Amino acid sequence: MEVAGDIKQVIAKELKIPVERLGDDTKLGDLGAESLDVIEIVFALEEKFDIDISVKMGPEPAAGNAAAAANDLSAFTTVGDICRAVQALVDAKAAK
Amino acid sequence: MNRVVVTGIGVASPVGLTLDRFWSAVVEGKSGIRPLTIVPPDRITTRIAAQIDDFDPLAHFDAKFANQLDRYSQFAVYAAREAMRDSGLVLSDQLALDTATIVGNGAAGQTTTEDSYYRLYAQNAARLHPLTIPRYMGSAAGSQVSIDLGLKGPGWTVTSACASGAHAIGQAFHLLRSGQAAVAVTGGTEACLTMGTIKGWEALRVLTADTCRPFSRTRSGMALGEGAAMFVLELREGAVKRGARIYAEVTGFGMSCDAVDLVAADPGGAARAMTAALRDARLAPADIDYLNAHGTGTVLNDKTESDAIRRTFGAAAGRLAVSSSKAVLGHSLGAAGAFEFAATALALHSRTIPPTANFQEPDPDCALDVVPNVARAAPLRHAMSNSFAFGGLNAVLVLSRA
Repeated sequence: MEVAGDIKQVIAKELKIPVERLGDDTKLGDLGAESLDVIEIVFALEEKFDIDISVKMGPEPAAGNAAAAANDLSAFTTVGDICRAVQALVDAKAAK
Repeated sequence: MNRVVVTGIGVASPVGLTLDRFWSAVVEGKSGIRPLTIVPPDRITTRIAAQIDDFDPLAHFDAKFANQLDRYSQFAVYAAREAMRDSGLVLSDQLALDTATIVGNGAAGQTTTEDSYYRLYAQNAARLHPLTIPRYMGSAAGSQVSIDLGLKGPGWTVTSACASGAHAIGQAFHLLRSGQAAVAVTGGTEACLTMGTIKGWEALRVLTADTCRPFSRTRSGMALGEGAAMFVLELREGAVKRGARIYAEVTGFGMSCDAVDLVAADPGGAARAMTAALRDARLAPADIDYLNAHGTGTVLNDKTESDAIRRTFGAAAGRLAVSSSKAVLGHSLGAAGAFEFAATALALHSRTIPPTANFQEPDPDCALDVVPNVARAAPLRHAMSNSFAFGGLNAVLVLSRA
């Protein structure tokens, strides 16, 4: 199932901007999103697709801490980052 | 010690969102106790409350900010903005560093807590909204006020049930008097009209079914209320220098614990707090012309408070005007002391004693001049505001004409 369109709808709704402004390379920060906004987007996506996205809010993890880095909020920098992560989780759920 | 004055007052009240509407209702005894509609009636028996009907968050905050605010924080931020505007004070970067934020609330983000836990326990939700904690935490209102107004001095939240607002104002007064801050935004807030909170109050069997009638022989209990009253307190020196309108000077603050019973107030504890406030203000009982009572309208509180007032004021109790504003405002718990501090400051400022509304007939157990139903003009010099909390935590403030 291709969900990128739905993901962008969710992000646009949370940030209250037209969906046309969301390209794969668009940075959330450039859209005015702060860390709480990203957390709210994550929540909305979890609700929409009934998935669990394991990202943590907080300072960026120390260099070399790969496990923490994978779950860091800074991994969700662009719209494309989110689409890929959510697509993977939706695919994993469908495969179960 | 520094002298401290009230230069700004803002309210989100059941009788209006402006100071003018608030004060005219308090003076005219026009009650804000009305049919309770913000809680579904099917599982509660309470049908009335001093509910705020006309507060639209989106009229005051953008959607993003409103989303961060529980109802109790919405009231606080709104009232704090109003108080700041009313004071005419413009905070320089330097003064902002020296401005404290001391807010009192008895509960916290009850709406958020209940909605979230309902989803979790009743609807088996897999997850809660990420703003659940920032909205419901007990210090959220104070934090949001400091963020919204850019107040960078000391800040914390005071909680002492129904005395929270008064304790907060007293703490702010102490900070300014001792030179630890130059300005304080302080007051109380509460948004307790939720299913769970009302069920809890019903279980205590202290709520009235008809209306709140403080000090009346026919009184039948308290009516819950909600809202916020916030103030700008300033050093008198600074306020005079900038030509500010001064409502009143804060001259005394007295505290005590009953150390007796969780719910039954003790006249000894209440009297000790009033005596401490008089001593702090360096005033004698006969100097106080008006006392805004805690006056909840329960059989027990009003009798106990009357005993405590007579014990404290002795012969001077005979000429003391005492009234309760709770017939108009309901009992808004952590906000109550702040609403009543506003009424007391405005009484001094306008030389008008607000009445005890809804009064029907005198009670020998409350043998005081309770200013039944009709306000009085009087050349007030000093006034006192009582707040007594469940748990026996007492806070009494003294205000003097500026």
